[in-house]
Amino acid sequence: MGPEFVQAFKYLAAGLCMGLGAWGPAVGEGFIGGKAIESMARQPEMANTLLRNMIIADAIAETTGIYSLLVAIMILFVV
Amino acid sequence: MFERVGKDLVWRFRIGPITVALNPATLGTALGISLLLVLLALWLRRAIPKDPEAPPPRRLVLLIFLVDFVENQVLGGTSEKLRRSLFPLIATLFLFVWTCNISSILPIPGMVAPTQDLNVTLGLALLVYSLTHVYGMRTKGVFRHLKGYLEPIPVMLPMNLIGDMGRTISHGFRLFGNILGGAIMGAVTIPVLTDLLVRFLGPILATLALPVLGTAASFILNGFFGIFAGTIQALVFTLLAAAYIQVAAE
Repeated sequence: MGPEFVQAFKYLAAGLCMGLGAWGPAVGEGFIGGKAIESMARQPEMANTLLRNMIIADAIAETTGIYSLLVAIMILFVV
Repeated sequence: MFERVGKDLVWRFRIGPITVALNPATLGTALGISLLLVLLALWLRRAIPKDPEAPPPRRLVLLIFLVDFVENQVLGGTSEKLRRSLFPLIATLFLFVWTCNISSILPIPGMVAPTQDLNVTLGLALLVYSLTHVYGMRTKGVFRHLKGYLEPIPVMLPMNLIGDMGRTISHGFRLFGNILGGAIMGAVTIPVLTDLLVRFLGPILATLALPVLGTAASFILNGFFGIFAGTIQALVFTLLAAAYIQVAAE
């Protein structure tokens, strides 16, 4: 196993890390956004509060995606 | 193509036993943005009319919009008393982070968005974390604030502490990761586009097509990652800061 194999597996690992890590947050954020828009359509007067809570929930759902982005960057540039 | 990312110019010097690392690009941009915001604030303050009943001058419209936005949208869920004491902090945080985020679209060589440096975002997150304790102790008292860590049962103390740590770290990393991800996308797209065009169109057609497609691509990238994602992430950062302080104080 030469250094070129290590390099190849580093790219593979970074790609897999980002691809699988972006999947969960995408599903979660889509669910949050869909539910928030459903509620906004039902009660338009609550739209401001719902938007604020939706953004906070989106940010928290996104956290794991950000972690996988950091791991991918570390695999590519640091390790 | 990636050699420069994350390995920017850093000054290192030793003070006694500690090695201090300084990134002059980040530091300079952050100080420049702070100076710009202070000058803007002084210029706008001169425009406020003495008589509160007088119609506001035109240059204050943006300021009125901003104050209204922070008061009703970002701090909409807090009580009246907390809102008054939180407003200056949250508005300053929003303005600073927002200006830092969208400063990445300026084509000045050597200038980077300060928020794509982990030291800046983690510093801001630690500032917010210490302020949650300040606000919590001020409104609930020292004893009741510290007793909150022993709830619901005293065995939960380590869990509460780890939860605090994870919350603060993810608060800083979220802004950093989003802005750095946008910057990497911006740095990668043009070389990849050049490579693809040369490979599929040949060198002569590629030199003709590259200016058009490259301009369109950087327009879209700066618009989406610079302005749109920058605004959303600044809003998210301040909303979470307000939510954390509100949870500690109420």
